[in-house]
Parts: sequence; structure tokens; C-alpha cells
Amino acid sequence: MRQGLTAGLSLKPPHFADALAAPGEGLWFEVHPENYMAAGGPRLAGLAAVAERWPISLHGVGLSLASDAPPDADHLADLRRLVDRFRPALVSEHLAWSRSGGSYLPDLLPFPRSRAALARISDNVARMQDALDRPVLIENPALYLPLQGHELQETEFLAELTQRSGCGLLVDVNNAFVSAHNLGYSAEAYLAALPAAAIGEIHLAGHSADLGLGEALLIDSHDAPVAEPVWRLYEQLIARIGPRPTLIERDDNLPPFAALMAERARAHAVLAREVEHV
Amino acid sequence: MSELARFQSAFAEALTGDAAGLAPWLADASAEPRLAVYRNTVAKGCADAVAAQFPTLVRGVGEAWLRDAAVIFARGHPPVSASLADYGAAFPGWLADFPPAADMPWLPGLARIDWAWRAALFAEDRPALTARAFTALTPEDHASLGAELHPAAQLLWFDDGTPSLWQALQADDAAAGIELSPAPEGLLVTRPELTVLTLPLGSGGHAFLAACRAGRSLAAAGEAALAAQPDLALAALFPHLIGAGAFARIQTPRSDVS
Repeated sequence: MRQGLTAGLSLKPPHFADALAAPGEGLWFEVHPENYMAAGGPRLAGLAAVAERWPISLHGVGLSLASDAPPDADHLADLRRLVDRFRPALVSEHLAWSRSGGSYLPDLLPFPRSRAALARISDNVARMQDALDRPVLIENPALYLPLQGHELQETEFLAELTQRSGCGLLVDVNNAFVSAHNLGYSAEAYLAALPAAAIGEIHLAGHSADLGLGEALLIDSHDAPVAEPVWRLYEQLIARIGPRPTLIERDDNLPPFAALMAERARAHAVLAREVEHV
Repeated sequence: MSELARFQSAFAEALTGDAAGLAPWLADASAEPRLAVYRNTVAKGCADAVAAQFPTLVRGVGEAWLRDAAVIFARGHPPVSASLADYGAAFPGWLADFPPAADMPWLPGLARIDWAWRAALFAEDRPALTARAFTALTPEDHASLGAELHPAAQLLWFDDGTPSLWQALQADDAAAGIELSPAPEGLLVTRPELTVLTLPLGSGGHAFLAACRAGRSLAAAGEAALAAQPDLALAALFPHLIGAGAFARIQTPRSDVS
């Protein structure tokens, strides 16, 4: 596995001190670079201390690669500065858009997967990789809305994107589960269709039922432990593709660090088991 | 315009409430209620950012009120950058014209100080000027040299006691009530190391730092301070400001000022 990374944790400033003291073979930490695009201050200093101790992953949420426009040059320059400073083991972004008419919409928005969109987004991913001078991983989104106008399945779209741009895939198993549930298809079949060789990272996160529509609509809320059906999908995926750096992703309703480390240990055990089989 | 651009324009419209333009892409009648997921996430992202940037307002008016105000603010002032720690610069000024805040005239001032605190927090890291560098200066130096403010230093002045109210609200037992003194006050917010510091300023201290910020000499800054506050103990002021981490270095005054 890449640079010995096994299971990692998403990292928030309240857990900086815990992260520095944490034990764990193969441990790594992931942050959203948008939260560190500042000139200085204690948050950057905290990340710098963690990055001296552990491998770091920069997981972008705001570059808007699925926009019908090139990625924002200032954003790319800020990202490049962070990449140069922290030398992350992994860099990733989303198959989504969040920029419209000069405004930033803090969400990961869907689009009709047309061939024209594939060409545009492949070019945007290539621009990102050129600006950072390294390959990146692109994450499958959580979907809530059935759209018309798709010319490709999401798995086809992602596979072609990797071939055209040379990017890898970040497979969010919870997103696959949530999207399949919300739009009515098989998560197992979805995950089985992804090209194994392109998968460079896996995300595991919790979800919750929509407040209005209930269980009919699951929200990728990142505010709860990873659900059991998602663990089962993860174990199947690892059995198929072999071990990959795996992140326990938690952004909201932050539990004590030890609770996250316990979830992390479960993913680590799945990966270790697979290494023994290989 | 490409189909992707037309879709994204229609989707952005739908997020603000008018989903009519999105109809060609919506698969069936079950789709439209699901747009609420995206509306809620966008609104939550904006409200989270404002609540994080203005913690003293959360203490002053409660989190629910502030988040509701932030969502209304975001409709007219959406973020322009994905770096959401930069979001909210216009919020203090907007609050001054927000009718539900009319009976809280102290609110925009508190917001200004929270924003200054945020600016100091994320400013460039630089060593602060030390007292030793100051004691080496001769009287001639005072006439010929100025002091550059630290990149984190934020200088504020109020025609009322907003800084004291802001300070009182930092205490854990601050719920006692809002009392605003009518006496004018200034405030320095800065960060010489990793912790943000605040220093109350009288009119003399504020005038001194304003002159330094304008690039004037130490002697000229001292004159400005005494003009603003004739009873000021000038000899003690500069070391006091150095101790608070107000300055980055001694420098030659800018040629366009004296």
C-alpha cells in the first residue's frame, strides 16, 4: 500500500494534540485544504506539527471540478502552496461542482453525466494535476436527486475519467451506499464495476435519514459512526481489490478522539487481514 | 452555452427557490422535494461559517438567532471563495441595517471586533518587536524612524464602550446582561505568537498606533498621541504597546509622510 498507509482519520483542530500523541502503525490524517488557506496562525501551525509526525492527505471540497469552466486559479495556487509545504501522501477532490456565477455554494452538487461533461471535467482534472505537478484522486459523490440527461453510468464516467486524465479514484463506500439507496440501484454492483487498479483511497463515513423524507432519503452527513451495511460493502471491496489507504471520515458531531481511533482500528484490521491473504 | 452550463445556472436558481428552469433535467415529481437537501446544505455551510467567525455574537444573541440572520445574509451575500474562514467580511455592516437587530445597536460593533480577532488569527506569522530593540534607539532615531505594525495587528475605535462589552462577553458567566458604556474606547487586537491578544486603548494609544500604521515617525506618532490625549504618559506608552506585540520592526518612515 502507498507509503505504508493503512487506516487514517479525518482531522479537526480540536484533535491536534490527540493526533500528535496517537499510537498506530500505518496511521495517517486527512484535512480539507480549504480550512488551511490562510497566511498563518495556530491552525496551520497545528497541522504542521501533525504533518511532521504522520503522513497527511489533502482532501479538497471546493475546487468545483465539474464546473463548465477551468478551476479557479487562485484556489489552485493556494492548494499548490499547501502541497509544497506539507508534501501530502494523497491529494483528492470530488466529482462535483460548487461554483456558479462568481459565488461559492458550500455543497457538492450533481450534474448530468454527458459525454461533453466528461470531456470538460477530464480537462479540469488535468489542469489540477498540472498545477500541482502530481496525480490526484477523484471521489464519487453522494447523490440525492434523480436527474435526466445522463449518457454514462457513474462507474463508466469515473473509469473514463481515469483513462483520459490519468487520475485515480477515491471510492467513498458510504456515498456509494447512500446514492444507490436514494436513486434505487445496487451498491454491490456499483462497487464491483469500478476499476480496481485506479482505486487509490477509500472513505468510510456515517449517514443519517433525512429529517423531512425519513429513511427514503439518506444523507451523507458525516456525523455518525460508519453503518454496518457500509462496513460489509467495504470488506467485500477490499477482498476484491486488496488493501488501500482507508479513511474514517467525520466532520460533524465530533466524538472523543478515542471513539474515532476505535473505528479506525476496525478498518486497520480489515486491511491487515487482507495483507495476510495476499 | 453548453448543456452543463445551462444545467448549473438552472440548478443555482433552483437553490434560491425557483426550480422552474430545472424541469428539463428532473426525472419525476419525486425529484423537486429532494432539492431541499442541497438548499439545506448550502444554508448550513454559510451559517456554520458565520457562527464560527462571530462567536461573541453567538454569546450575545444566541446561536439560533445568529444562524437565522446568517442564512438571510447569505441570500444577498453568498460566499465567493471556498475558503469559508474568509466569509463574513460584510456581515458587521449588514447587521447595522438588519431590521430585527435594530434594538441591539451594540451588535455590529461586537461583530467588527470578532472579525478583527479572526483577521489576527489567520494573519502572517512574524516575530514581534522586542523591548530590547526599542531601548537601543536614540532621540535622533525617534525623529527619523517609525514602527511597522505587526501583520496581525488590528486597530479599532468606537464612539462607545463596545470593547468593554465585547470583553465582558468573553467570560463564561457573561449571560448577566448587555450594558454598553457611552464613553469612547479603542482596542488593539493582535497575535505576536500563536494566541490572539487584545489591549484596550485610550485616544492617545489609538492615535499613536494610527500614526504608526500611516508610516509616520515615532516622534510624530508621539505628538499625535499627545494631541489626542494631553494627559497621556507617553514615555510608558511605547513599551506598553511593544509588550502587547503591536509592532513587527523599526523602519524608516515612508517618504510620502512625515
